[in-house]
Amino acid sequence: MLECKALQVRYGYVEALKGIDLLVKENSITSLLGANGAGKSTTLRAISGLEKVYRGEILFEGKRLDVLQTHEIVALGIVQCPEGRKLFPGLSVHENLLAGGYPLSSKQQLTTNLEFVTALFPVLAERKKQAAGTLSGGEQQMLAIARALMADPKLLMLDEPSLGLAPIIVEQIFDVLLDLKKAGKTIFLVEQNANAALHISDQAYILEVGQVVLSGSGKELLANGEVKAKYLGG
Amino acid sequence: MFFQQIILGLREGSLFALIALGLVIVHKTTGVVNFAYGHMGMFAAFMTYTFYSIMGLPLLVAVLLGISFAVVIGILTEKFLLRPIRHLSHSAMLIITLGMLMILEGLALLIWKQDFQQIPNLVVGRPLRLNLGESFLIITRQDLLIFILTASIVFGTFFYLKASKLGLAVRATSQNEESAKLMGIRVGAVYAFAWGLGTGLSALAAILAAPRTQVQPNMMLDLQIQGLTAAVLGGFDSLPGAIVGGLLLGIIEQLVAQYISVELKMGIALFIIILLLLVKPDGILGKSTKRRV
Repeated sequence: MLECKALQVRYGYVEALKGIDLLVKENSITSLLGANGAGKSTTLRAISGLEKVYRGEILFEGKRLDVLQTHEIVALGIVQCPEGRKLFPGLSVHENLLAGGYPLSSKQQLTTNLEFVTALFPVLAERKKQAAGTLSGGEQQMLAIARALMADPKLLMLDEPSLGLAPIIVEQIFDVLLDLKKAGKTIFLVEQNANAALHISDQAYILEVGQVVLSGSGKELLANGEVKAKYLGG
Repeated sequence: MFFQQIILGLREGSLFALIALGLVIVHKTTGVVNFAYGHMGMFAAFMTYTFYSIMGLPLLVAVLLGISFAVVIGILTEKFLLRPIRHLSHSAMLIITLGMLMILEGLALLIWKQDFQQIPNLVVGRPLRLNLGESFLIITRQDLLIFILTASIVFGTFFYLKASKLGLAVRATSQNEESAKLMGIRVGAVYAFAWGLGTGLSALAAILAAPRTQVQPNMMLDLQIQGLTAAVLGGFDSLPGAIVGGLLLGIIEQLVAQYISVELKMGIALFIIILLLLVKPDGILGKSTKRRV
């Protein structure tokens, strides 16, 4: 569904991505793991059109993405839930969700999607009128995911959804990702929490200083000695 | 007597509020303080004068053309002068608006020379007399029009930003530009909207003020400062704050003029505002910078 071919991104003279290849298959959970500064977020930002691609290409259902602008990429059905949530803190929970549904043209569909995401995260319905900035960390992450789902994307990309959250909330959120996959969505997950991510991933890539050093199914990587030593805490 | 001064202050203040509103809309959305703001209005007032007095169009048509001209100039400025350097820094954009200020002033001098020109009051007729117990107050119809226009524009803008889809996009973009992009919002269109609306408001303010200031290259100099002050007073990122700040500044200036000194009214008013801001640095309705992490 989504393919990066020899993707290179530079910040000035610094090579953030040194030519990576990866493939996200339809109706799967694919994750991109690695330490801080490995280039995970850069990959997502390049796919969303927030960073310029220096060389290589990004294809989505056969279409070149790297020549499009962010709003055009969103219109194709790729929505990113950014790192650190980046909500609209002064807007209410409801308005945040409406902003997520911005690309939709029909009111009918907006209502349907609102019902869908509030069924997924019932707490958001309770907090409907509250300013997003006043939610707890876990609630904010739920809102960020719900907001990204409002446009009913084909491909949902999440940047570090587990960041700063209690393990029980992380589990809850990852369960939702599995539910979403069952509902037919494709998920591309960027994580530092390799253990949690590998358990739900169909396919995973490990990134080190801008290069893919290892890839395989979630199970394979969980069993891999090097991965265990480096990313799973022994 | 005192009450009369308040009304006179509100009259001045609604013009300040109108200017502050446009400045705040542009700043809140795009992060730029537009130094050329007043001059863009001045230029539009000259265009209105040209349409009306030189080309002989009806006054209302000339006014609407003048405002439309400003809207277009605002959009073009954003698109071709500011957006290309958006990634650099906000101060780079600030310098551009400073350059615009000088260019517009020079152009106006070049095209229309130094003579003061006129735009008549938009409404004519006998001034209204307001009886207040023993004293009375005279309000011209133009002043009443300024008041009504400001009020309706304020409520219209609030309502539009609150209830429309584009309004939501504007508010979302002003909170987090990158997230707005990721939601599929065309932030370029949002900037263009803010600049178009803001510059249009400046033009309206200049045209409304023109009968008093005359049409001349520096007609908006004081008003720009007063509008900026009103915006700062209100917190700079709050639309209601801009209105409250504008009205308050009007009243303060009027009271200073009446009871202390006419010559010093702006100076003393600004001094009072410095004191006010020392007490409340975020402005009257500004959001405090504390935020939950």
